[in-house]
Amino acid sequence: MDFNKRMLLKVQNLKKIYDSGTHALNGINFEVNEGEFLVVIGLSGSGKSTLLRCINRLIEPTSGTIKFLEKDITHIKGEELRKIKMQIGMVFQQFNLIKRRSVISNVINGKLGSLGTLESILENYSDDVYFEANKCLEIVGIKEKAKDRADSLSGGQQQRVAIARSLMQNPKLLLADEPVASLDPATSNSIMQYFEKINKEFGTTVICSLHFLSLVRRYASRVIALKAGEIIYEGAPSGINESWFKTIYGEDAGEVEIK
Amino acid sequence: MMGRLVPGEIPLNIAEKNKLWEQKFNFYKAVLLDIFFVFYSILVIQRAIYYKFLVGLRDIPFSWGQTLIIFILSIIAGTLWTGTRTSLSCKLFGIAKDNKVTKWTVEIFSWFLFDLTFIAGWIITKISIVSLFSSEGLQGAGRIFGALFQPQFGIFDDVLFAMIETIYIALVATLISIPPTLLISFFTARNLMKESKITLAVYYILRIILNFIRSVEPLIWAIIFSVWVGIGPFAGMIALLVHSIASNAKLYSEAIESIEAGPVEAVSATGANKIQIVWHAVVPQIILPFLSFTIYRWDINVRMATIIGLVGGGGIGTMLMQYQGLARWREVGLIVLMIAFVVWVMDYISAKIREAIY
Repeated sequence: MDFNKRMLLKVQNLKKIYDSGTHALNGINFEVNEGEFLVVIGLSGSGKSTLLRCINRLIEPTSGTIKFLEKDITHIKGEELRKIKMQIGMVFQQFNLIKRRSVISNVINGKLGSLGTLESILENYSDDVYFEANKCLEIVGIKEKAKDRADSLSGGQQQRVAIARSLMQNPKLLLADEPVASLDPATSNSIMQYFEKINKEFGTTVICSLHFLSLVRRYASRVIALKAGEIIYEGAPSGINESWFKTIYGEDAGEVEIK
Repeated sequence: MMGRLVPGEIPLNIAEKNKLWEQKFNFYKAVLLDIFFVFYSILVIQRAIYYKFLVGLRDIPFSWGQTLIIFILSIIAGTLWTGTRTSLSCKLFGIAKDNKVTKWTVEIFSWFLFDLTFIAGWIITKISIVSLFSSEGLQGAGRIFGALFQPQFGIFDDVLFAMIETIYIALVATLISIPPTLLISFFTARNLMKESKITLAVYYILRIILNFIRSVEPLIWAIIFSVWVGIGPFAGMIALLVHSIASNAKLYSEAIESIEAGPVEAVSATGANKIQIVWHAVVPQIILPFLSFTIYRWDINVRMATIIGLVGGGGIGTMLMQYQGLARWREVGLIVLMIAFVVWVMDYISAKIREAIY
């Protein structure tokens, strides 16, 4: 396991000020080693989504640096940026599938970066691509839905398709922005198990933002807590006791259990 | 590592500054609008109500000098009025003082403007109940209506062919309009073009051109093209084509602007290039609205093809014009019946298709 200690991501003094004047991130510093399952917690508006979107550069940070595999990716553009994006998978709260398309073509969308433009427009994919897509669907256990329309699936199933789509990228890093926030508790747990499986079996590093502390304790190998764009807690999930909880979520908050 | 809470002064400052700047800007807008209100009121009272109605002049005297004086007076009155911060415009732009004077000014002046406009409208359109119900007029109308309801079926074949010509003019114009409209609509969608200054410039230039083309009625385009390529169905077709492209490009690009951002974000997060993002995340979301708009445009074009036929665009409109000129009302009756029937059928079919694909 010592090989896994290679540093994957290093974020230094990261700041993001939106055009509206909102300071979303106020100097974030942290590192992620390969194979970690890092969970980001914090109230809505604390900067979790912004942080994740800065890492795969859906958003350009205002200042600071992000290093991915020793390479500074903070302000790269064009082809170079696409190469990095291809190595970082992302799963969203709202699944973000193309609703009218089939499950399998949604999964293949994950590979667009490495497919030729003309090939992908004509959707003239090789058998290898279909084989790979089916394998990804098998990992999340919905191979039999491959030909169904994406919007005919339940929320949990759609999220599994979204996970399969990101697996299609063979990502070194998997980002998940509140992946279970719009699902029921039982489904949430099963979705988290897929992330755990991907983390343990393929050694993919996962950075995931979550709301429920019971899920955090169960799946995270390390936790960072954000408040008003700053990290106020960093460490093991077991370290979040009553008083830390109050610090992170405010005095009035009470913990909601999810089994 | 316990964090320090953010002082948060800078964003507040920015917000505060923006607000002040906006208020200042709103004041200038209010001044302009108040000047317009005063200028409009004086002109309407002087020209429509005084000259036309009270004095009963047919030709109203006009001089630029007088208008200029009224305009200068309006500028002074409007500016002073806005300065009191109790005017109608102040209220509209949210910079009015919150007191009784404002409340009354706004109420009284709104009603004043509304009534003034309505009365002026009444005078200008020369509304006359008398001529609507004069016996001579009613007789004439009765004669034409009678003829319309006794259509002359002798020319049925000719009318049918002219109608088919009209439908084909509309169909060809719609079909040819699709590829250029598709291409243009991506360049006039703000969400795709806002990224760099160059693309934004292209966006604005295209928008202005399209707005201009759209604001010129197909009827006018038909007149232009019937001079350009000669009277006939071809002129009508190009006129419809030009207008279809401009109108549908707007509808298409609005469909592009209203797509969900999530799927686009997801596909771009996989490292797909720009063309792939558009093809795999934007196109699947807009294909149905596009189809729907296009079918609806065909429906509209059939109706418009009839109208532009009146100025030499070919088809049934041209035929209608000929028989109307000869005052052969029974033939006109058949043509009108045919048009009504086809428009009704087209309307029904296009509604059904649009329902089915959604």
